[in-house]
Amino acid sequence: MDSSVVEKIIKEIEGFTPAHESAHVGRVTAVGDGVVAIDGLSKSLMSEVVLFEQGKGKKLADAMQNEQGELYGLILNLEEDSVRAAVLGDTSRISEGMTVRSTGQVLSTPAGEEMLGRVVNALGEPIDGKGPFKDATLMPVERQASGVIDRKSVSVPLQTGIKSIDAMIPIGRGQRELIIGDRSTGKTTVAIDTIINQRNEPKDQRPICIYVAIGQKESKTARIVEQLRRERALEYSIVVDAPASAPAALQYLAPYAGVAIGEYFMDKGKDVLIIYDDLSKQAVAYRQLSLLLRRPPGREAYPGDIFYLHSRLLERACRLSEEKGGGSITALPIIETQDGDVSAYIPTNVISITDGQIFLTSELFNKGVRPAVDVGISVSRVGSSAQTKAMKAVAGGLKLQLAQFRDLEAFMQFAQDLDKATADQIATGQRMVEVLKQKNGAPLPVEMQVAILYAAGHQFFADVPVGNVTAVEAQLAEYLDGEHKKTLAEIKKSGQLSEDVKKSLNRALEEFRLAHSELFPSK
Amino acid sequence: MAEHYARAIWELVLRGMTPKKAVQAVHERLIARGRAALMPHIAKALERLAARVSQKETIVLSIARKQDEHKTLAQAKSALAGLSASRDEIEVRIDETLIGGWRLEGGEHLVDASYKMQLLDMYTAATAR
Repeated sequence: MDSSVVEKIIKEIEGFTPAHESAHVGRVTAVGDGVVAIDGLSKSLMSEVVLFEQGKGKKLADAMQNEQGELYGLILNLEEDSVRAAVLGDTSRISEGMTVRSTGQVLSTPAGEEMLGRVVNALGEPIDGKGPFKDATLMPVERQASGVIDRKSVSVPLQTGIKSIDAMIPIGRGQRELIIGDRSTGKTTVAIDTIINQRNEPKDQRPICIYVAIGQKESKTARIVEQLRRERALEYSIVVDAPASAPAALQYLAPYAGVAIGEYFMDKGKDVLIIYDDLSKQAVAYRQLSLLLRRPPGREAYPGDIFYLHSRLLERACRLSEEKGGGSITALPIIETQDGDVSAYIPTNVISITDGQIFLTSELFNKGVRPAVDVGISVSRVGSSAQTKAMKAVAGGLKLQLAQFRDLEAFMQFAQDLDKATADQIATGQRMVEVLKQKNGAPLPVEMQVAILYAAGHQFFADVPVGNVTAVEAQLAEYLDGEHKKTLAEIKKSGQLSEDVKKSLNRALEEFRLAHSELFPSK
Repeated sequence: MAEHYARAIWELVLRGMTPKKAVQAVHERLIARGRAALMPHIAKALERLAARVSQKETIVLSIARKQDEHKTLAQAKSALAGLSASRDEIEVRIDETLIGGWRLEGGEHLVDASYKMQLLDMYTAATAR
């Protein structure tokens, strides 16, 4: 024991006054699978935290060596003469007859600036070995979402750095945009790239990013944390981790803990971006808990309040009015589908709650179109009002153009028999698909996206073989970044595509074409 | 299932039926439904239920040493009054792990004035960074 602890103990002894503690208690009557039945606690509240008394009957020295810390439970069922609670920890530490103390408090999580760059569990406790939080504020895990009067409509864009999303499915700060798709279609990548892209925002406008990993493999979360650290994105991010090995109760609580931390920053007038990866696993954890709590099962064995589970969570994402500080929480929930079935129970629920969805398909992914966004069925219901004028100007007809290309794609195998107009449309579509491709972990600032889409929209890539478009685009981006910083800065600053900017861009594109004529072989 | 039948018998007794009659009534119903094999399980569930109720009703005063009994009873007077329990209703138990002081448990109430609890609180306060 170090000397400072000894000194503190001496101080405690000097200031000691004998006292007694009164508590409202119950006793464990049954325990199993993460759920305990408790006799007594008749005055307890729903969602109240209870404390399992582990020191009873143990000698002082043994009670002091409780390395795993206190063990808490969360009351989820109030019954006639007993209660049922989910154990927020290791169930094997509980025995029948154990005394359970009421705390009189609903579950809360620490939140504060010092959590930035840290990895915490679903209870807000640090799990990255960097020590405890010293000055955190407690935020309730369950809180009523802001009301209509306190809200403001979405008007500020949240740039993902992904061309196909920022151009065709724009997201605004305060929006809830679902990322949906089968396994291994790049859902997490879209979310992580969005977090990384926030480093391109000025520090005072940069959203705080919260990544909530639910039921994920620890190795995947470790890889994501490392990627964020490498990309200097961890300094404005918080990772809430409830891995697959965590009890179902913690997997169920993790998204609420994440949003509670987000609300701390939103209440201070800051913008927050929160990723729930993924809510299908949270629904499965909640189904497990509900069945163990003997709640009646409904469709696919989910309990009756499964819709409310997600709606009350996602409703907490909003943009607050200026009177309330003007902060926002943008939510990007992720849902994993089975074999592209978006009409399953949980996907339809979350689709109906959110303000749009980004649909990723295995078909596109396997074709090499990455991010594999199916723009035909992806939609953003409120984001377009937050899109910058410059982006609107270059992305206006893009969705329609791509939809037409997809329709014509089937005729490609009869290419020789096509009329010139159709062949041109297919050629333009193919090049546009190539332009929209983007590497994993390489989000682009909005001004660069505008410049590239402007070039694509003005047939800049028309003379480039389809297979070379991505490489030429990368060279163009490098050229613009090096030689035409001013033009890019003007697009970023004004958010518009003025005549002067257009002239500068045209000049830059012409210069690039002349300097790299070998990249543009004539048809 | 056995738990529910046991609770039913318990409720019948609480409503004034004699235990013998209550058990008989449930037994007859079980035979009629062809579920008489449940009877031993119901008996065990009833036993557990009775133990739980009795534990709930028992007021236990734990002390570290036998010689502290009188002194402790005087100290715990106000706590005992809160439980509206008389001296005769209290079961005194010796629990050496308490080190000193006392601990009173009855129904859903717990009053802990043991030295162990106070030392543990002190240790937690000193070691919390």
